[in-house]
Formats: sequence, C-alpha cells, structure tokens
Amino acid sequence: MLTISGVFAGYGGGDVLQGLDLEVPTGAITCIVGPNGAGKSTVLRVVSGLLTPRLGSIDLDGVRLDRLGCAGVLGKGVAQVPQSQALFPQMTIRENVLLGGYTLRRDKQLLTKRYDRVAELIPIVAERSHDKAGNLSGGQRRMVEIARCLMVEPSVLLLDEPSLGLDPMSLTGVSQLVKDANAAGTTVLLVEQNVRLGLSMATHGVVLEGGRVRLEAPAGELMANPEVAELYLGGAPTAGATAGAQLPQPAEPVPGR
Amino acid sequence: MTQLVQALVLGLLIGGVYALMASGLTLIFGVMNIINVAHGALLILVAFVTWKIWSVTGIDPILLSVVMTPLMFGLGWLLYKGVLSRISGSSPGMSVLLTFGIAITIEGVLNVTAGNRFRSATPSYFSESYRVLGISLPKAQVFGCLAAVVVLGLLYVVLSKTWTGRAIRATAQNSSGAALVGIQAAGVAALAFAIGTATTGVGGSILSVLYPFFPASHYDWISRLLGIIVLGGMGSLAGALVGALVLGLAETLTATYGSLQWSTLIFYAVIMLVLLFRPQGLFGSRLRQDVMA
Repeated sequence: MLTISGVFAGYGGGDVLQGLDLEVPTGAITCIVGPNGAGKSTVLRVVSGLLTPRLGSIDLDGVRLDRLGCAGVLGKGVAQVPQSQALFPQMTIRENVLLGGYTLRRDKQLLTKRYDRVAELIPIVAERSHDKAGNLSGGQRRMVEIARCLMVEPSVLLLDEPSLGLDPMSLTGVSQLVKDANAAGTTVLLVEQNVRLGLSMATHGVVLEGGRVRLEAPAGELMANPEVAELYLGGAPTAGATAGAQLPQPAEPVPGR
Repeated sequence: MTQLVQALVLGLLIGGVYALMASGLTLIFGVMNIINVAHGALLILVAFVTWKIWSVTGIDPILLSVVMTPLMFGLGWLLYKGVLSRISGSSPGMSVLLTFGIAITIEGVLNVTAGNRFRSATPSYFSESYRVLGISLPKAQVFGCLAAVVVLGLLYVVLSKTWTGRAIRATAQNSSGAALVGIQAAGVAALAFAIGTATTGVGGSILSVLYPFFPASHYDWISRLLGIIVLGGMGSLAGALVGALVLGLAETLTATYGSLQWSTLIFYAVIMLVLLFRPQGLFGSRLRQDVMA
C-alpha cells in the first residue's frame, strides 16, 4: 500500500498540496482526476522524489519514501513516466531504454535479460532500436517511456497524463500496456485530464480539488456520480453504473472572513 | 600545390589543439548550461604553472600535462562544489557573470605573482620540424596535436562507452528525465565540470609551448573558443571538433594566401555565414519540434 499522509508541497509560491491524505491500494489502477491546478501532477512528483514535500510523509508498505530523492525512490520500486519530454532525444531508443536500468548497471546479465524482455513486450523498442528518440511521434515516445520504466520492474508505476497528445490508435496501445503491467502485478497510479478514459482504465478513482482529496471511490461508482459526470464527463452518468459515491459539499465559509 | 598542402596540414594540427581546448567548454555548457567564461583564464593559469615548472626543472612542458590534468580535475571539482553549484538551475547569463568573476580573479592573481609580461616555454624541439614528402611539420605542433587527439579519444570513449558518460549525456539532454532513471544530477554536474576543467590541464600545457601568453591573454582565448562552439553548435563535442578545424584552417589558409591579420576576421565571417543558414550551429540539435509528449 502506498500511503500519502498530510502532505504539503509546492514550488515556492505557496503549497499546491494542502495536507493531502491518500491511500493507493496494492495491485490496483488508481486514477486521479480533477480541475487544472488541483495538484494532480504534483502528487506524482512528490511520490517519485522529483519534489520534496514540506510537511507530511509518504510510505510504501511501511518504508518512508519522502526523503529518499529520485534514485532512492526508484530503488524502492517506484518509477514515473512524466507528462512530457522524459526521453533523451539525442540518444537511440536502445540507449534510452537501457538507461532505465541505470540503477542495475553493475549487473550486466540482469540488464540484458530485462532489456530483452521489455523489447519483446513493446515491439517498437526492438524495431527502432537505433533511431534517435527525438524523432519519434508522441505515441511512440510514450511507449518508449513506459518501456524505460519497466526496466526496473517497478512495483508502483506513476503515469502523468498518458493520453496527452496521442491519436486513438496510440492511446489504445498505451492503455493496453498499462493494463498488462497491472495484470503482471504492478500497482498503477495515474493522473488523467481525460476523465472518461482514465476512470475506464482504473479500478479506483480519486477526485482532487485544491490540493486535497474531495472523493475516493471505485472507478465505476465515480463515473456514475452525477456531479462528477456533470463536472468532468460533460453530462449524464454512464448508463448502467450505480450511483454510490456522492461528492461532499465544500465546507461553509466561516462568517466574518 | 605544396604550399596548399602545407597550409592544410598546419591548419589541421592547430585545429586539433583548438578542439581539445574547446571540448571542455562545450561539455560544461551541454551538461549544465554554464557558459564558463573562466575557461580561457584556466588555460592561461595552467600555461603559467607549466612554464614555471619547465623553467625551473626543465621537464618537458607537454609531458607536464600528465600532472596538470589531474590537478585541474581537482580544481574543477572544487570550483563546482564551492561556487558554481550555488547557481545550479539559474540562467546561463548568471553563469557568465560568475565565471567572469573567476576569470578576472585568476588574471589578477597571475598579474601579481607572475607579472604582466609575455611568457613562452621553449623546449629543445621548439624550432625543429619533421619533413614528410616535402611538407614541414613543426615538432611542437605535432606533439601538441597528438596529445589533443589522445585526450579527445579518451573523452569520446568515456562519454559514449561508459555508464558515467551515458549519465553525463543523459543529464545534458534532459536533467529531470535523468533524475527519474536514478542519475544523481548534482554528482554528474560536478563530474562533468571537473572533466571539462581537466581538459585545460592538457590544453594549457600545449598552449605554453605553441603561443606566447600573458595574464590577460585569456580574453583572446575565450573569444576564439566561444566562436568555435557557437559555430559547431553549443554543447556538441563533434561540433567543437569541426568548428576548431575550421578555425585552424581559416588561420593557416588566410596567413598563406593573404595576411595573418585577416585570419580572425575570416573565421568570424564563416561563423556569421553558417549561423545565417543554421542558427543552431553545424551540429546543434535539430529534432522534431511538433511533438509535446
């Protein structure tokens, strides 16, 4: 279980995350949705170690992650595919994917074995191994970014807007990759602006607003929630889904303020 | 015809040395976005120390690069950890200000300790030449170029064949992407700065033999070296090599068929022409710009 407790974090101009509490169940695909500026990507950045929280703690199965930095967090099996520009554009796809195993570099056999497995799983790695990553399309880059993360066989995969800029065919490929990784036992925490797509991939959904969790529920229930449907799905709840989750109303403003 | 071949060979010999001097500068810019204006001053510092040791002990100045290189590696590491790491993440303009401060500090120290006079190491082979097929090859330039080729070869092997080199290149191309695969950016930046500074250990030793120098010579050198890496493409080692060879050839061809005084002008005219058609320089990045993810 990945547990985020009372986390405050930001970029110097005030906290984006305002005491975030969130539990990500092991083996699940959890999707975070919410309006722009809610702090969705920031959640992933504090978990992966790109951003150090000002207050609060993050732990994975009882092991503290929040002071380890990127390399330490990766060493605990948590890998992130960021929103954009994660590859090394002047390097070949082979070099990019191999660098995903940078922390395993002293074990050449393991590195080769992992590379062969990833190349088998994601064909573009083998097909275009000598092409420069900077010349790939958006969908192909996403595939290579995920391939690079899979080199460490992560127990938790963090995905920031996997659908961003992708055509429908690439999107199907990326969704399938995420589902396959999850089926192989990887816990997935993803952030998605395309709420319908994100929740349809996920088993759990989280609505984030103002740097805090406003609602958590199974993904199906969340899609059936009338308010979520109104705010994020552009209309009526998905047919056939049960309306289990209700958005709590924001607290009343304190009189006199 | 012999005159042309002579000019071309000399141009390549000089260009090889320029390439070595520019390689450290472009490496540091590529990895950290630091425009190290102190690079020229570090070259002159090494040239002075080399000249001093040679004049006292008689040890060959180019051979002294074996000692100067690790010393400059250490100085580079200390400079990064103690000074430059404080502006990590700032704009390249900030690095120009800071390293300019370092440059004038080195110049001032040299003025006080070594005096504001031209110096030059003149080992026994200084005025000797090899003759190959009617072409004259000055020994000092041959040795200097050989040392430069060895160091550039080592640099190429380290950067392309080792994990340390891959980490340096990865950080240069995408620092947050590098962090996400477990590369410690701060350590890599210090290492790259130290390696870049170490090249002045060899470059400065060669400079002490090939060119007369005095404390303020660094202004002239940093201008040439910046010109080379702008022509080649900022951050590109291959670009630095080609830019350096162009400068070397421009100098010798202009000196042979015109006047040495025009050679710098010709070189900068070449830079302007190239930038008109390739604003990113000869080997600057030119990848797909239409993809966000």
